[in-house]
Amino acid sequence: MTRTLLLGLDGATFTLLGRFLDGTDEDGVVMPYLAQLVREGFSATLTSTNHPLTPPAWTSVMTGRTPGHHGIFDFVRFEDMGDDMFFTLYDSRDIRCETIWEIASRQGKSVVSLNFPMMSPPPVVNGSLIPGFVSWKHLRRNMHPDTLFDRIKTFPDFDPKELSWDFERESKIGEVMYDDELYAWVEKHLPRDRQWSNIGQRLLDEDKPDLFALMLDGTDKIQHQAWHVLDPLLWHGEGTDAAKAVRRMVLQYYRDVDGYIRDLHAAAPDAHVVIVSDHGFTGAMKVVRINMYLEQLGHLFWRPSDGSAAAERRDMSNFANLNWTRTTAFCPTPSSNGIVIRRKSEACPAGVAPEDYDAFRTRLIADLLSLADPVTGEKVIQQVLTREQAFPGAAMEHCPDLTLILCDHGFVSVRKREPAVMDRPLAMGTHHPDGIFIMAGPGVAPCGVRGAGGRLAIVDVTAIVAHSLGLPVPQDFEGEVPERLFDAAWLAAHPVVIGPVTRSTAAAAAAQAAQDPEDGQREEMLAQLRLLGYLED
Amino acid sequence: MTPNDISQRLRATLAEFVADWGVDADITESTRIAADLEFDSIDVIQFVIVMEVAFGTRNLGFQNLLMQDGRYVDDLTVGQIETFLAGRLATV
Repeated sequence: MTRTLLLGLDGATFTLLGRFLDGTDEDGVVMPYLAQLVREGFSATLTSTNHPLTPPAWTSVMTGRTPGHHGIFDFVRFEDMGDDMFFTLYDSRDIRCETIWEIASRQGKSVVSLNFPMMSPPPVVNGSLIPGFVSWKHLRRNMHPDTLFDRIKTFPDFDPKELSWDFERESKIGEVMYDDELYAWVEKHLPRDRQWSNIGQRLLDEDKPDLFALMLDGTDKIQHQAWHVLDPLLWHGEGTDAAKAVRRMVLQYYRDVDGYIRDLHAAAPDAHVVIVSDHGFTGAMKVVRINMYLEQLGHLFWRPSDGSAAAERRDMSNFANLNWTRTTAFCPTPSSNGIVIRRKSEACPAGVAPEDYDAFRTRLIADLLSLADPVTGEKVIQQVLTREQAFPGAAMEHCPDLTLILCDHGFVSVRKREPAVMDRPLAMGTHHPDGIFIMAGPGVAPCGVRGAGGRLAIVDVTAIVAHSLGLPVPQDFEGEVPERLFDAAWLAAHPVVIGPVTRSTAAAAAAQAAQDPEDGQREEMLAQLRLLGYLED
Repeated sequence: MTPNDISQRLRATLAEFVADWGVDADITESTRIAADLEFDSIDVIQFVIVMEVAFGTRNLGFQNLLMQDGRYVDDLTVGQIETFLAGRLATV
């Protein structure tokens, strides 16, 4: 019997949902079922990871650990080759901590996990797992078990191209779209989440897993591009016909999502239903071309262009395209909002010497905080976090040295374009640290009013899910099960139990071995890595 | 692992990799992954993962194959990948 439904809504925020639930919007109550869950259950603001971004934040939901421990900081990781920089994607093999899917599986619980990022290649679980962010060409190979694709292709209306991630389509996020183009773009997202919901419904009905987890990410994608027709501060019902059409389409999407939640819950009415986002949302008005500013400061040098079409495409990509033999500090990707300070070495003579690092970083922080809009004089960076502040933990050495929080929570640009700071023509949806937590079911203490449960941390979600499954909460989880979430009778009958620490993953073992421990320990770790398939005999 | 073993494993892995794509191309030494097998950049990233799993190590240094003179290469032949793997697997 299913005990826990974990439903992820990427980027969901009470800023929007509040009006959809309360009916204070011009369109009335858009999400009546979610409104009922809020009324009858517990709801709170859910604080995201220090940099509120999908890969690190969902990995925190899955592992109960913050990014400095689980090791996922961005979509993209990079390897500094000294005279060049190799960019590639993070994947499941980079996660240094066990996921709740694995923790539950090894304790005999069955699991269905659908559309969570960083789950490719798929881990072995006691049940079914389909990762998110995978193109249709790679779906079959990336499912667990390896027979799952053949099973789900028998489901009515299954369409792998609708279901999967379209990299070309999603790469348009962040670009200004006219409303006619935006309408067509939004329209393509509706069938995708319908596909995920259909598959989820069938697997839930047929397998009745102890833990059913589904993440829907159309919320995030649509909010990025259609914020101007959604934000209560910006939309007053007076837009163009094209804008109104976009808004109607977007609202239909949210009505659909509400129906998916209702139908999934109906299949497991006695389960705990836990609805969470990875981060919230807000609107951004500034363009901040941070690498242009680093060039002005003398830390960054662009790669000279030969004028070819290939060079033009590379310059317009979302990976910094620099002269790596001269650059000292750079922002690798817009999604990182991070600044990397290169270390001096034989391969990287342009880097900062160890003895100069602290002074360099301190000066750079001051320079970043002084960056201002040339028109208004407004400072555009509200906070600069050092890596020790943003991502403490064993994996910290792989995160950017500095993490920027812009004045409007926007993402930076890494493109070579003037000016370094300007206003956007249209508000763009961007991530905010404040997401949502909604829970209902046995023993959940109703708080009645939306958000009256106060504030939870994103890593609390994993502890709550473990407890809901009847499992001990691992000692090394960073979150907790808040007492106020359950009523006294539930807690008396189901006390929160703290259990053994989670198991080491291959990525954690590899990182540990790389630190060159004592010979005896090293042999032990190498044996473990061979066992995990990381090394050949 | 001999060059022949590497070639066989690479070609078998590649054939399975593109099995659902509907491309109609034999996999030979001269097969080009972009022009003949319709790889795009995301496919290359996925293929690197598959190769790392197939050959049991993440230390193959594919960046040295994929980047030349500061640019990502436009295309690769199966023969180029085989030569690269033979060199790398002799050292890891």
